[in-house]
Amino acid sequence: MTDPDAGGGRRLDRAADRMLGASAVQRLLIATASTVLALVVGLVVVAAAGYDPATFLVNVFEGSFGDATAVAQTLRSTTLFVLTGVAVAVAFRAGVFNIGVQGQFVVGGFATVVSILWLAPLAPENAVGGAALLVCGALAAVVAGGLYGALPGVLKAYADANEIITTIMLNFIAIGVVGWLVDGPFRGEGQRAPNTARIPEHVGLPRLVFDVPDFSVVGLAVALVAVGAIAVVMERTRLGYDMITSGHQEAAAAFSGVDAKRTIVATMTLSGMVAGVAGAVFAVMIQGYYSDPSGIGTYGFDAIAVSLLAANNPLGVVPAGLLFGGLDAAGRHIGIYSDVPVQLIDGVVGLVVLFVAAPELFRMAARRTGLGGEDR
Amino acid sequence: MSVADYAARNRVRIGAAVGLLAGAALLAALLDLPVAAIVTVGFVERTLQAATPIALAAVGGLYAEKSGVFNIGLEGFMIFGAANAGAVAWLSGGGSPTQLDLWVGILAAVLLSLAYGAIFAALTIRYEADQIVAGLAVWFVGLGFGPFTAVVLWGNRNSPRLASVADLTVPVLSELPVVGPVLFDTSPLVALAALAVGISWVVLYRTRYGYWLRAAGENPEALDTAGVSVARVRYGAVIFSAAMAGLAGAVLLAHAGSFTGTGDTMVNGRGWIGIVAYLFGNYNPIGAGAAAVLFGGLDMLQIQFQTAGIEVPNRLVNLFPYAAVVVVLTVWGSTRMPAAVGEPYESEE
Repeated sequence: MTDPDAGGGRRLDRAADRMLGASAVQRLLIATASTVLALVVGLVVVAAAGYDPATFLVNVFEGSFGDATAVAQTLRSTTLFVLTGVAVAVAFRAGVFNIGVQGQFVVGGFATVVSILWLAPLAPENAVGGAALLVCGALAAVVAGGLYGALPGVLKAYADANEIITTIMLNFIAIGVVGWLVDGPFRGEGQRAPNTARIPEHVGLPRLVFDVPDFSVVGLAVALVAVGAIAVVMERTRLGYDMITSGHQEAAAAFSGVDAKRTIVATMTLSGMVAGVAGAVFAVMIQGYYSDPSGIGTYGFDAIAVSLLAANNPLGVVPAGLLFGGLDAAGRHIGIYSDVPVQLIDGVVGLVVLFVAAPELFRMAARRTGLGGEDR
Repeated sequence: MSVADYAARNRVRIGAAVGLLAGAALLAALLDLPVAAIVTVGFVERTLQAATPIALAAVGGLYAEKSGVFNIGLEGFMIFGAANAGAVAWLSGGGSPTQLDLWVGILAAVLLSLAYGAIFAALTIRYEADQIVAGLAVWFVGLGFGPFTAVVLWGNRNSPRLASVADLTVPVLSELPVVGPVLFDTSPLVALAALAVGISWVVLYRTRYGYWLRAAGENPEALDTAGVSVARVRYGAVIFSAAMAGLAGAVLLAHAGSFTGTGDTMVNGRGWIGIVAYLFGNYNPIGAGAAAVLFGGLDMLQIQFQTAGIEVPNRLVNLFPYAAVVVVLTVWGSTRMPAAVGEPYESEE
């Protein structure tokens, strides 16, 4: 093989062909079928492990949409899944497998908290000062996340280092280094647990509509604005065009003068920037300080499932994020009110990804049972 | 390919590995590190034990990729292997597993991995699932259901103390200095892995099946023309890779003596490191085994630093293998993959 990257490129071409070949309706059907099948397998496992699947289902609905608090919990997770999901979608759409969103999310969130803590003494202690600090924190997250995403991008573009593996390694490294930083040099005074100091009270998102401590509609709005911005960049700008063509038709892109290497770096940077925003929202809206990142949840990983379910379309990430937000909230509810291990939800998420990866499974099943499914 | 051929073709790689070691020695001398306290007999023994699961997973992944299927799910299969080995050993021993129960657990983990491997093979080969996405999914499913198993059985993501595999002491030979404790008074699983590496080299380069396997990855059309079913060869390789990764996870558990399901579980990236080990070894089982030893050594440095009294935070020393992986991929990123990796093959008949 002359071009060492051609394997990856061709593989993605195929995946893209298959996805583009599928109509929007088919894609929706495949996504729905994958989710339903994964949930059914989850229920079978619940039953096999000796729990009552019906109670489990009731718990899932109560925990995700049962009352106002449950809805707030769902939207809280949705906010993060939409942002991290868009970060993944940007990269996957451009044919770059950024599995490092979790690491970029951690680095971004940590940068937010540290920059707010540093700048807090300089800003006035009122709403304006708070808002200014939030903007600075978000900028820090965008820069940090972008740089941490650019690194594997550069390694892939100029040294042919497989980005799947480097980004996974960089996740471990981000979690380890930030974990060490919050335990040692950045540990807040008098903190018993390995946490940074709290960011000041006046720096935070306002509680509107839902009166819960860890969700603000403003956070959700930030996520939706990011979705809109990315959708515009992908569909309406030269950069987006370059990214999508080099993801789907490498040869055509090269022919029309797209610098493939620079596009890879740009893609990874953009993806990391969005992941950084997700980290900032998490740090400000949910935590208010930064703790050991090995225990903050795997939003950056689940985002891969969110993005795939949405066929890597930034707009599709919204409903997919809502579904995962509901599952996540249900998981927390189950953890408190039921003795079914919450890890089951993680397993079901994995199964969703597995089934989404094999659309052919459903096409064959559809043909076999005669439920439509015209030939490819 | 003979060993001499391999050495000749990979002169740069081998030279680099030697250079790396020389550089490390020079650095140690310059910084006045207590080398004698770092490179001890115990360190070598621990390095080989840490390398064992990585080498097993690497050999499995190498077979799958040589046949044309990128099994990126090694990490997930390892998690299942560790969880299943622990669970079966615990159930078989009624809560206090003996050595026999542990071996039953290892065997059961491998058998279950064969079944998972068959499902994964069907999805990637028959149903043409995207190999990368499906492999990632295996990891996610493992990260969910591995700890799930632990919570169901033990009420906690971590198991209680189970049993760790007893050292196999060869009489007389184990009395030898250095070689004795490293080779003849250590976990029998180390020897098993070394054997597996050797055998898989022989099968890959000296048997007809190995020839088919390489053809399935390089030129499936030719193999098909010769009347051999490409799908069947690939099924075999993928199922084997899952079983090896399952064994790798079980070995990890047998060395640790208990299951850890917090964070990224006890496997903690070793499956991914396994992939890098075979890339670094340029798809040669023996090269992959050597790379596994390198990564195993980095993994065990932390204990040596502690005993030698060098003050580096544990949390950072633990990151050495991951950093090494990034460096290795950056310097040797452009490995020559088998030509047909990632391509589902549809026979023309």
